Amino acid sequence: MDIKLRELSDEELILEFQKNNTEDAFNILVQRYKNPLTNFVFRFLGDYEACNDVVQEAMIKVYRYKDSYSSVAKFSTWIYTIAGNLARTEYRRKRRRNIFSINDYGEDHKTYDLPDESYRPDVITDSGIKDEIIQKALLKVKEAYREAVILRDIQGMSYEEISEILVVNEGTVKSRINRGRAQLQELLKSIYKE
Amino acid sequence: MENDEKKYEDVIKALKGLQEVNAPENFEADLQRKINSEKFSKEEKKSFWQNIFLPTRLIPSLGLVAAAVVIFFVVDTNSEEMDNPFLIEPRVREDIFVVTDYEEFESKKEEEVSKQKSLKKDEPVKNNESVLGKRRDESELKSYRDKMVTGREKSVEAEGLMEEKNIPEDQDDNVEAYFAAESTVTVDSVSPQPTTATVRSSETVAGQSITKEELNFRQVQLTEEEQNTVNELRIQQVQSSKSVEKPKK
Repeated sequence: MDIKLRELSDEELILEFQKNNTEDAFNILVQRYKNPLTNFVFRFLGDYEACNDVVQEAMIKVYRYKDSYSSVAKFSTWIYTIAGNLARTEYRRKRRRNIFSINDYGEDHKTYDLPDESYRPDVITDSGIKDEIIQKALLKVKEAYREAVILRDIQGMSYEEISEILVVNEGTVKSRINRGRAQLQELLKSIYKE
Repeated sequence: MENDEKKYEDVIKALKGLQEVNAPENFEADLQRKINSEKFSKEEKKSFWQNIFLPTRLIPSLGLVAAAVVIFFVVDTNSEEMDNPFLIEPRVREDIFVVTDYEEFESKKEEEVSKQKSLKKDEPVKNNESVLGKRRDESELKSYRDKMVTGREKSVEAEGLMEEKNIPEDQDDNVEAYFAAESTVTVDSVSPQPTTATVRSSETVAGQSITKEELNFRQVQLTEEEQNTVNELRIQQVQSSKSVEKPKK
């Protein structure tokens, strides 16, 4: 039975879970999506603990609201949409909590970014640190662009899938991806020069 | 599209080269635990109405209702007692009348006293009780006269008119009038209509709300001569009253 279930596609598994309440089907779906979702959410949030909670919450939502899945859409699109929404909510909550602004200083009420010494090129030594720098740069990219860039360049999804997940048309997806990449390139200039 | 990807080739390479982040090993166990705890909490979930009518939740509302009832019965908004005391007009005391013209008041009193006196002369004393009552009145009259005399003397002293110490006879009427006005003691033996007279006089006096005690005559230490004079006057008064009674008998 378990082997048989493993051979089923995502859509077939969720249907099995919907109709017969087969928990094994759900468990197989969890095994298939736990890592990709964790990767996506971590790149978006930059916090592993929060990412873990968000992915678990997404799985619980799938479990609880299995009947709301429609077989018209792909299961991956549905679960990524759920995870993306939860990640966005968590990110905004975190941003409100940890906001550090010096808005009230100065006459122009401008926002000033404090220089981060860890970005200095002479500090970069290995790929681990490089990854960290890229992650930090990614977090500086605008939220909407970042999500599109992660789904395209890290998760390797098609524009069509991304447009379904973000519930925007493909043109918007492409534009967001390009803008996100441009921002990243600007942020990672120092690494490329090296 | 391809141009864009070439333009950002480095960025795409950097992003694709990022290490994959995997879920923790206990991810599934944690998930199962959370799902089971959700199931458990789902079973225990009570309906909206059950939540509302929980006894513990009714305590504050019951307290509020009790407080409202107490306030309703203690603070009766329609009660006159709760009127603002600063806004209530003071009650008019109808039993008090103010005498504006003192001379008029004096003349009325004199008339009443003269009437009484005339009646006294006409009516004989019929029994011993009346005699006793009369004596009592006389004693009061005497004491009153004493006071009057001392008062007059003091006023005369103040004016530097100490020549005339004896009270003239014609002033006795005034004294009696004062006495009648002040006294609340009935003089049945003296006159056939004393009750009415005294009532009237007491009413008039009540108008001024003056009592015998409130007259507050100044107590003056009389010299021996003065005291003798006063005593003589008293004796004269008693004799005169006796002489009036005897022929009537």
